[in-house]
Amino acid sequence: MRFIKVSIQTIFAPLISTTLYLIIFAYSLRGREVVGYSVSYTRFIIPGLIVMGIIQNAFANTSSSLIIAKYQGTIIELLLAPFSYLQLSLGLMIGGIARGLAVGVAIYLVSIFFAGAVIAHPLLLLGSGTIIAGIFSLLGIIAGLWAKKFDHISIFSNFFITPLTFLSGVFYSVSSLPGVWSRVSLFNPVVYMVDLIRYSFIAESDINYLFSLTVISGAFIFLLILVTYLFKIGYKLKD
Amino acid sequence: MSVAIEIENLNKSYGDLQALSDINLEIKKGEFFGLLGPNGAGKSTLIKILAGLAHKDSGQVSILGTDIDRNHRQAKHKLGIVPQEVVIDPYFNPFEALKLQSGYFGIKDNEERINQILTTLGLADKKNAYARNLSGGMKRRLLIAKALVHDPEIIVLDEPTAGVDVELRSSLWKYIRRLNRQGKTIILTTHYLEEAEALCDRIAILNLGEIVAVDSKEDLINSIDKKIVEVKLSEQVKGVPTELTEHDFEIDENSKKLSFELSKKKLKPFLDKLYQSKLPINDLDISSARLEDVFLKLTSLGGENN
Repeated sequence: MRFIKVSIQTIFAPLISTTLYLIIFAYSLRGREVVGYSVSYTRFIIPGLIVMGIIQNAFANTSSSLIIAKYQGTIIELLLAPFSYLQLSLGLMIGGIARGLAVGVAIYLVSIFFAGAVIAHPLLLLGSGTIIAGIFSLLGIIAGLWAKKFDHISIFSNFFITPLTFLSGVFYSVSSLPGVWSRVSLFNPVVYMVDLIRYSFIAESDINYLFSLTVISGAFIFLLILVTYLFKIGYKLKD
Repeated sequence: MSVAIEIENLNKSYGDLQALSDINLEIKKGEFFGLLGPNGAGKSTLIKILAGLAHKDSGQVSILGTDIDRNHRQAKHKLGIVPQEVVIDPYFNPFEALKLQSGYFGIKDNEERINQILTTLGLADKKNAYARNLSGGMKRRLLIAKALVHDPEIIVLDEPTAGVDVELRSSLWKYIRRLNRQGKTIILTTHYLEEAEALCDRIAILNLGEIVAVDSKEDLINSIDKKIVEVKLSEQVKGVPTELTEHDFEIDENSKKLSFELSKKKLKPFLDKLYQSKLPINDLDISSARLEDVFLKLTSLGGENN
């Protein structure tokens, strides 16, 4: 609800920056073939850009909600309310998912002008998009709980999320990387997310989509349990 | 009268600092209960533990029979906390803030009650205003409204009138008194001892993490053996008659008012001597000890415990 009140900052700003990526890369590299893929470069990068939008905004939503609440002191409203620890985790996470998916859908709508509206597996797209948004919402909660100031949040976003995203095959196929780098890429969890969303759009991928789905589902469940536990022990919330 | 809050052997420390030491306390349902003590006495820590904002080291706390460890959610339903700090989410106007707060407690379709609370607290015309544009007093009232929106049986007010002007303070107390008459249990911490004296039925005084006294207001005050006799004179006097000087006394600047402090059992002989002294008495005022005297005697502020 809060992110809708500042939608210019939370939805339209990321939409503009992603659209710029789309315009710059799609036009400057148009005509370029992607090794192992039958689609145009523009169509190839759109799923990755959507994942970028989802994860950055899902993370930003929960991490900023918590750090602002800690700064303002309004965090006690959540602690005074009769929520179960799981409810608290789910409530914050759903907020992050809503913003992540809102940005993802907005980017998709803009991308229709560049590469058409076809989605090969819409249900898989919706399901995996939700899980990915959920993972980064939960990571945002962990960052928000841990952080004492906004600077700490930027450590997460600038030194972990951004590099992992840019090195996840948004703009290239990880299979096309030289041997060792291709294998190293598989340690990057965002690779599986980009690949899974790409498969949902174009039915082509570097990694088997069921494996990717298993990896991200496992990460989601682990993080949900971890966040619920952190709320239970009052990590950095209770004296 | 059944028990609203029961605290047994409660301990809490922050590192080497023992914030609460073996606290045992019972607050009855429907009471207007005061929790007093100097800064650092442990009042806020106690309230934080009640509210689930702090972990306790040991001991049991139950709220209307519900153990806060066994069922923290049910316990929280019964409590309405007005925090000491003014914390308002600037994204929401007062109506939205109360609607959101209602949702936290699983309450829907309560617009009528929200409007009623806003009206009672003088916020009806600000219900759609930006929260950041509310005055300090209005923000404080909004905090009270938020604590009341789920109709809790126990209302905890942690320094609710700090920095609030006299007029607003009086209207707030009128409202809180009304809630108490309706059967709500009120727990108040305040630095304004006159407020506690005027409002509370029973009072606990905390000092250095321990409860040093818990009793009815009257009994606490009666525990101090002190009477103050103020004698207003129709004309200036040069001094105090010798038969009255065995008691502590003060003369005001223009020598027209004498104040004597004496024990209760010496009051009658003192009044006899005063009558015989032929002083030009214009008016006489006899008062007992104040809560402040009790407070100073029992806490570190009085110096006796240092």
